[in-house]
Amino acid sequence: MYFPIVAGVFRRKVGEVKAVDDVSFDIFEGETLGLVGESGCGKSTVGRSILRLYDITAGEISIDGAAIGQISGSTLRRMRPAMQMVFQDPQASLNPRMTVASIISEPLEEHTSLSPEDKLDRVGSLMDSVGLNRDFMNRYPHEFSGGQRQRIGIARALALNPRFIVCDEPIAALDVSIQAQVINLLEDLQAELGLTYLFISHDLSMVRHLASRVAVMYLGKIVELAPRDTLYESPRHPYTQALLSAVPEPDPEREAHRERIILKGDVPSPANPPKGCTFCTRCPKVMDVCRTVPPAPSLLGDGHEVACHLYPSGSGLGNETGTNTEA
Amino acid sequence: MLNYTIRRLLFTIPVLLFISFIVFLLLDLAPNDPTGNLPLTIPPDVRERIRQSLGLGEPIHVRYFLWCVQFFVNEPLNILEQWTGLQFGSGDRLRVQSWATRSPVVDLIVERMPQTLWVVGMSYVVGIIIAIPIGVISAYRQYSWFDQAGTFVSMVGFSVPTFFTGVLMIVVFSVHLDWFPSIYDTTHRVTDWQSFWFQVRQMIMPVSVLALFNAAQISRFMRASMLDNLSQDYVRTARAKGVREPVVLLVHVLRNSLIPVVTVIALGIPQVFGGAIITEQVFKVNGLGQLLIIGIQGADIPLVQTLTFIFAVLIVFFNLIADLLYGILDPRIRYE
Amino acid sequence: MDYRRLFIGCAGGAVLALAGSANAERGADGHVNIIYWQAASILNPFLSGGTKDIESSSMVIEPLARYDQDGNMVPWLVDEIPTVANGGVSEDLTTITWAITPGILWSDGTPFTAHDVVFTAEYCMHPEGGCQQSTSYSDVTSVEALDDLTVKVTFSTAKPFPYGPFVGAESPIIQKAQFQDCLGAKAPECTEQNFGPIGTGPFRVVEFRANDVISMEANPNYRDPSKPHFATLTFKGGGDAAAAARSVLETGEFDYAWNLQIDPAILSQMESAGKGTVIAAFGTAVERLMVNLTNPSPDLGDQRSTVKGGPHPFLTDPAVRRALSVAIDRNLLSEVGYGSAGKATCNVLPAPAIYASTANDECLVQDIDKANQILDEAGWARGSDGVRAKDGVRLSILYQTSTNAVRQDTQALVKQWWGEIGVETELKNIDASVFFGGDQSSPDTFQKFYADIEMYTNLFSGTDPETYMNNWTCDEIPSPDNNWLGNNMPRYCSSDYDALASELGGTADLAERARIAKAMNDLLMKDGAMIPLIHRGRVSSHSNALGGVILNTWDSELWNVADWHRQ
Repeated sequence: MYFPIVAGVFRRKVGEVKAVDDVSFDIFEGETLGLVGESGCGKSTVGRSILRLYDITAGEISIDGAAIGQISGSTLRRMRPAMQMVFQDPQASLNPRMTVASIISEPLEEHTSLSPEDKLDRVGSLMDSVGLNRDFMNRYPHEFSGGQRQRIGIARALALNPRFIVCDEPIAALDVSIQAQVINLLEDLQAELGLTYLFISHDLSMVRHLASRVAVMYLGKIVELAPRDTLYESPRHPYTQALLSAVPEPDPEREAHRERIILKGDVPSPANPPKGCTFCTRCPKVMDVCRTVPPAPSLLGDGHEVACHLYPSGSGLGNETGTNTEA
Repeated sequence: MLNYTIRRLLFTIPVLLFISFIVFLLLDLAPNDPTGNLPLTIPPDVRERIRQSLGLGEPIHVRYFLWCVQFFVNEPLNILEQWTGLQFGSGDRLRVQSWATRSPVVDLIVERMPQTLWVVGMSYVVGIIIAIPIGVISAYRQYSWFDQAGTFVSMVGFSVPTFFTGVLMIVVFSVHLDWFPSIYDTTHRVTDWQSFWFQVRQMIMPVSVLALFNAAQISRFMRASMLDNLSQDYVRTARAKGVREPVVLLVHVLRNSLIPVVTVIALGIPQVFGGAIITEQVFKVNGLGQLLIIGIQGADIPLVQTLTFIFAVLIVFFNLIADLLYGILDPRIRYE
Repeated sequence: MDYRRLFIGCAGGAVLALAGSANAERGADGHVNIIYWQAASILNPFLSGGTKDIESSSMVIEPLARYDQDGNMVPWLVDEIPTVANGGVSEDLTTITWAITPGILWSDGTPFTAHDVVFTAEYCMHPEGGCQQSTSYSDVTSVEALDDLTVKVTFSTAKPFPYGPFVGAESPIIQKAQFQDCLGAKAPECTEQNFGPIGTGPFRVVEFRANDVISMEANPNYRDPSKPHFATLTFKGGGDAAAAARSVLETGEFDYAWNLQIDPAILSQMESAGKGTVIAAFGTAVERLMVNLTNPSPDLGDQRSTVKGGPHPFLTDPAVRRALSVAIDRNLLSEVGYGSAGKATCNVLPAPAIYASTANDECLVQDIDKANQILDEAGWARGSDGVRAKDGVRLSILYQTSTNAVRQDTQALVKQWWGEIGVETELKNIDASVFFGGDQSSPDTFQKFYADIEMYTNLFSGTDPETYMNNWTCDEIPSPDNNWLGNNMPRYCSSDYDALASELGGTADLAERARIAKAMNDLLMKDGAMIPLIHRGRVSSHSNALGGVILNTWDSELWNVADWHRQ
């Protein structure tokens, strides 16, 4: 996913931001893939690209074997019911001039031919299922609290019975007390409806709680992808190690001995990423090869994949059924 | 909302009284003399008698009070009489009299209203009709050639004065092409298709000159507001829902973008009543704007006072309307 | 060239007027459109001094006698002009008796009588009416109807020129039956009457829209059954002079446009479109410089620009005033600013022809060398900055006028010429409504004259210069004592002049009056109380399809609208 950089009087294209570059991963049906990384690393872009809210520059996205990477217009629109998104900011992502009922029922208008009563019924049951009082149907978004608004967002996403939902930092804008409610709701809905989640977050502990597998992104690339426990217990990539070392320990004893890896410098500009490994400018274990050759992902077994020259390339990737994404 | 409206309306009363007093004071202090434009052959003592006969001999507070009585009591009663046919009192009330025409100011205004509303009002409507699509398309296709052209036309419409575009149009379409009349016939009455066509022809030039100006302004607002909303999260939500693009644009973006634009439009309506002083002058439409400018030139203080005060009332009123519209259009805003 | 065009215009008009009268049926020529860029506010000239109002109403209401294009009186609603010779004016010059032509009807069909004339005088002379034409009635003690068709006017003093009341467009007759409830303070409330007076003129009002447009139709009871030639008439107002000229000369939408004070070059370019003709005529208007003979120095406080404040430091020197006058190229000023509407003049009283003096024509030719020589001889020597001075007094002039593009051009040119003769000039322009406004509290009025030189146009209506020439007698000097009311802006005071003025007031013979008026003019010029610049004419235009137009500056331009016809 490249964004053009334009400048000058005639807005000529002078370069591009490689927001997400050479990313490839699978999401298996019914699982939750956590996607973590610091701000600006391209997490949200990945999420939006998968749902084709952006036109991808190159690559392919397929859902249930159907390629959606290059389709557009009405073809794409007909695919929408299968995949939905829960957005980070529940305030901004709801049209302020629409009532809750019309926000939730709008996808029904577009994609189903339900009668008005059925639609209302469906809206009611959706509100029930996300724990909202259906009497509030005719209220406007600004009349709800942040947590309630996010429930509206979730209800809206569920309206068309999607199988796959991208949750783009759904809890980042919420109070901690509300965060847990929303997370529990997401978990309950997953269990109930058999949903597949791509859970984008910078909150490592929340991802650990929710995700079955975790992908770590740095500057537009996935640097490490592994089942949750493997990743949290034995992170391999220096960046993942640094990231995890920043998670505070609840046990004060262990917290005292926690070894923090402090990264130096800033994240390089995605418009002008370093040659070779993108992490080479800040990596504590940097080698000469890192500065020239971009590392290829290597499978360490057990679904643990790392893109780092410390772990020379092994066998190829296992490709299983489910959602396969390259963007 | 009703309480709010009533409270606001009550609050406007002292505001308007204050405005009327300030206007009166300003006009009185202005170095202006109703006999100043008379020929020099009229000797000073006659001028003095004329001034006395206009009531200028009285002190200012007496004249202000007189005007208030005439405007706030006599004129409304008069209108009521005309509407209901009832007679209140003797019916022999002193109305606000123009000094230049020696006729009731309100009658003059009523006489001028049709052509001003037709020409200036029509230009406002045409301007809005042109401006909104231009604003929408310009924003949706930001930096496209359409947007660039729209920006250019807006700049031209906004920065080139109407007395220039007006005279230019007269020279091209009246003098050289002989398509449209250069002088608006205010006595013309539409009775059949032919006279309707004449009315259209004589309105085309003044309306288009003003519409260009109005459209330039409103399309800029529209574009800015659209751009503001196009990048909002809820637009992305709508796309994620799988809503059709026209629906995204028209239902989600446009409706939200119209909130500030509608306010701007409502606030602009008093200007319609104010007439377009310059354009009316250029095309001899002789509406309210021309009435005002003649009044100012001739130091016709009662006329200027009454007109400016009516404009003030309209401005205050449409400000209230704009606020209420905001409340209706934007559910986030509630007035208590 | 101006004369030639004027001549052709007049001659052509006269011929066509004759040709037109052959067309015998009233209203046969359909519709005529007249545009005055100042819109008419009211059709009662007694309540408005505006030219637009006087002239628009002149098509409806008429005086007993009016002036033709040469300034001669012509009987209008009477059979002959009363004079001492025919017994209409008494020997002691205190009464004049008018005999109305029998059979004249108002447009409503009722007869026009002497009682209407008497009522008109009563209406205008009412102390509370604020009549704007009351000067026409000055010194009138009584107006009485001797019988239904005879009116006798009595004056308080001997009136050598008794043609003030009921003569000219400013003094028309209104109908008693219509206006009898509108006397005095009630005058302004009679909107219906003021907007639609009943008259004896060729047209009557159908619809009046104040400050916009008047619709008229032919008066069915007009005394000449074959006139007017037009059945209907539109009198449109508004816009500006250029647009009015365009509508006649370029688009041909209108037949007649009044008072086209625009850049002469633009006007002749418009005329070249071939749809209309520009016509000009000269009245009594003179653009002049008034010379302040009193000291305008701000140091004098209340005494500033008053006789009490003392004489002007240098403008009282005749040499300076003469040099200032000779240094000006009046022909160039006329060409630049007025085109066919102006010609150079050295007289403050340039017309009618019998009053025009030729004694002062020295100034018609600019002569910078002579001006310099005059100043050198008078002892004004150039200082190091090029400005002349004598005894510590520098020739530095504050020159004010009203805000007006032509006047500012004139100012700039005059400043340049005066610079060449070593006179420093500071220019000032003041909004016309303030300058002419007579506001007591404003320091910028032309009466207060807080400057050394001021420029404006003045004129007199009608043809008799007596009142006008009386403007420069000693007791007309404006000062705080008379609330600055007074017309003697230069604060000129000469016993010789006052003597001539009183002589004029006692003389009835026209030739003798002319001699005295000329002498007064020459005295003013010799004493340099004012420096005349331009004799200003009026420029109007009519479409080539309109015949019978005779431009008249002595009366309403529309004075002969009954003769106008399609050609």
